[in-house]
Amino acid sequence: MNYIDLLRESEDLVTLGMSACQGCAAEMCLRRVLQVAGRNTIMTIPPGCMAGAGVVGWNFDNGLKVPVHIPLLDNTASFLSGVSNMYQRKNRQDVNIIAFAGDGATADCGFQSLSGAAERAEKFLYICYDNEGYMNTGFQRSSTSSKGSKTSTTPVGIKGGGKSQNQKYMPLIMAMHNAEYVATASPSNMKDLVEKVTKGIEASKRGFAYIHIFSPCPTGWGHDTNLSIDIAKKAVKSNFFPLFEVDRGNWKLLDNKNPIPVSEWILRLKKFSHLSDNDIIAIQDLADKRMELLRKLSS
Amino acid sequence: MSRNFITPIGDEGIYTLDTGSWRTFRPIMNKDKCVECGICMSFCPVGSITGNEQKIYAIDYGFCKGCGICAYECPSKAIDMVKEGD
Amino acid sequence: MDKKNKIVAISGNKSAAIGAALSKPDLIAAYPITPQSSVVEALADMIANGEIDSTMVHVESEHSAMSVVQGATVAGGRTFTATSAQGLALMFEPYFRMSTLRLPMVMAIATREMTSPETVWSGQQDAVTVRDAGWIQVFAENNQEILDMVIQGYKLAEHKAVLLPVNVCYDGFYLSHLTERVEIPSQELADEFLGSYSCNHVTLDPDKPMAVDPLTSSEILWRYRKSHLEAMQNALEIIDEVDIEFDKVFGRKYGGAIDTYKIDDAELVIVTMGATTGTARVAVDKARDMGYKIGLLKVRFLRPFPSQRIKEVLNGKKAYAVIDKSVSFGWNTGVLYNEIKSAVSDLDRAITSMPAIGGLGGADISVDMLLDCIKKLDEESKNYNGQLATYWFE
Repeated sequence: MNYIDLLRESEDLVTLGMSACQGCAAEMCLRRVLQVAGRNTIMTIPPGCMAGAGVVGWNFDNGLKVPVHIPLLDNTASFLSGVSNMYQRKNRQDVNIIAFAGDGATADCGFQSLSGAAERAEKFLYICYDNEGYMNTGFQRSSTSSKGSKTSTTPVGIKGGGKSQNQKYMPLIMAMHNAEYVATASPSNMKDLVEKVTKGIEASKRGFAYIHIFSPCPTGWGHDTNLSIDIAKKAVKSNFFPLFEVDRGNWKLLDNKNPIPVSEWILRLKKFSHLSDNDIIAIQDLADKRMELLRKLSS
Repeated sequence: MSRNFITPIGDEGIYTLDTGSWRTFRPIMNKDKCVECGICMSFCPVGSITGNEQKIYAIDYGFCKGCGICAYECPSKAIDMVKEGD
Repeated sequence: MDKKNKIVAISGNKSAAIGAALSKPDLIAAYPITPQSSVVEALADMIANGEIDSTMVHVESEHSAMSVVQGATVAGGRTFTATSAQGLALMFEPYFRMSTLRLPMVMAIATREMTSPETVWSGQQDAVTVRDAGWIQVFAENNQEILDMVIQGYKLAEHKAVLLPVNVCYDGFYLSHLTERVEIPSQELADEFLGSYSCNHVTLDPDKPMAVDPLTSSEILWRYRKSHLEAMQNALEIIDEVDIEFDKVFGRKYGGAIDTYKIDDAELVIVTMGATTGTARVAVDKARDMGYKIGLLKVRFLRPFPSQRIKEVLNGKKAYAVIDKSVSFGWNTGVLYNEIKSAVSDLDRAITSMPAIGGLGGADISVDMLLDCIKKLDEESKNYNGQLATYWFE
């Protein structure tokens, strides 16, 4: 079945009226993930944009048509380790157990529990929507924010030029955990995303699966709401966000020998409007070197 | 169902906000140009574009936030963003 | 496990592990910290030898230990873990949530002094500092009580009118590591007492989809707190019921939320919690031989606090001293002292009281030290009323 048919025929299990921003790529991806996963799923969504938008429920109502729990910001992966182990014991391996967490909950305070769960090969799928910051609380910087990002905690001024450090590259870190399946995905490449979520769910029955999604944020990054997919597309095409997967140790990279320059999309984001030429060269360099490393790893 | 107020749970309904009232622009499909590829549906963040068995796609304006992604991404340029109230 | 009851000489940690094993937990989270590590080691041995059929998750921190058991409990399982001091502090975030989500479990705390100063030795500061996080807390006097309270803990925690997690606290090193005579009941007796596991708490299950812990507005949040407080009060009665039922099946009883020793005709009382109680019983006997009309009040449950029973027991007494192995920063006393004083605060006649602090960071409280404290209580209460100067065991 091609992915359009699948999406057309699969139920949207997320509330229709959630208060995510207009053009939010994370909202889009959450709907797609649940369309693939179906009703036999347990979702955990830690504090962040998605939880704040109402999907974890309010008072006596749910925000999803599947069971959902909002863990603490730092323990999504360990909470799910407990759920997963218990469901194995009850012989209900058919139930999909999925985390949908932002980059703060994944790469920062939740990193320890994530790394622990991956090392223990816990059987669940962990999806990170990376909008490069703590967007729900007002666009503070996180460890996955790109170098130079203007955020509310790394503002631009006489003494400040945005975030001074490069981003922590979670996909490769997770790939080093001997996981069943690790992949990067972008909403712009929706067919690829749907396939990877399908593979991730299947892999989560055998061991730990991790998917890192590039999630443009119109409000936090400063771009028009209709450009979310376009920005993601260009991030992939510039080799800034390479699409690769590691399936039981087999590396597969969607290579691109003719990338567009990163400036084609980063300069359209207000969070980078202050960047100097050298800053742009630094980001280009990072993207090129990272792609080169991935080529070596997947050869 | 009666509440015991033991563990907080949401089991009565689905929490929904009237996000349709957020729009300043609404997407209008031009069916002459539409090739029924379904890409608009795949890129709608709010699930407001659905297709039927005949693969005919339609926009539900109940919750559409007017982000404009469908119009921007449509390969046939079959969707226009029109100001609300026009 | 053997079908007959066995009498052995084992440490407190081993007792806790056996109590947990007899309760057949589905999932055990294991992380080492002095002085509880041998609890999870003993359970790991039992799993490896096929003696129990529990899943052990080797977490990477105590924060994850509490998170893993929280996930497993919400998935409908019976869980167990153990910790001390710094581990308890690290897990405080999910610890508070375990009780406020009204999830039953038993966690052993081999109580230990909190750092700083840098220490790994005995104290009660860790458990008492988290007393207001909504858990039930019971303090064991000896290793037999540890084993028995772990089993009773599950019965109490999983009761429909309670649904709260239980801490079985016992003095680090003094109980956790030292060997005492313990009777290990048979698996049959434990099964008879606990019955087959039935899940009375909320679960995450696609067959019954719901949001577990949605965002909650102020209009209704207070109702959950009120219901939690009510459950704690229910627990006070159920503690006594469980104690009586335990006696019927196992032949041992502990008196419920408090226990007393030679208190009826006493004029002076010493109040203890935990291992000090054992020493105090000997001290009371010796003091009585020396002519002091002294009795002992053993506080078993710090939470829920049995204020009514304590008030009744202390009513009419001349003076009491509370032996605290903790401090209450901001008061010049220990933690238990303030709780006791609050319980007797509306008696017609105020009782003279002496806060006593000792046993911090591994210090011993010997029989002679307790006798000195009793003498001091007797002298001072003859001359002064109200709260006496804080007595520090040196």
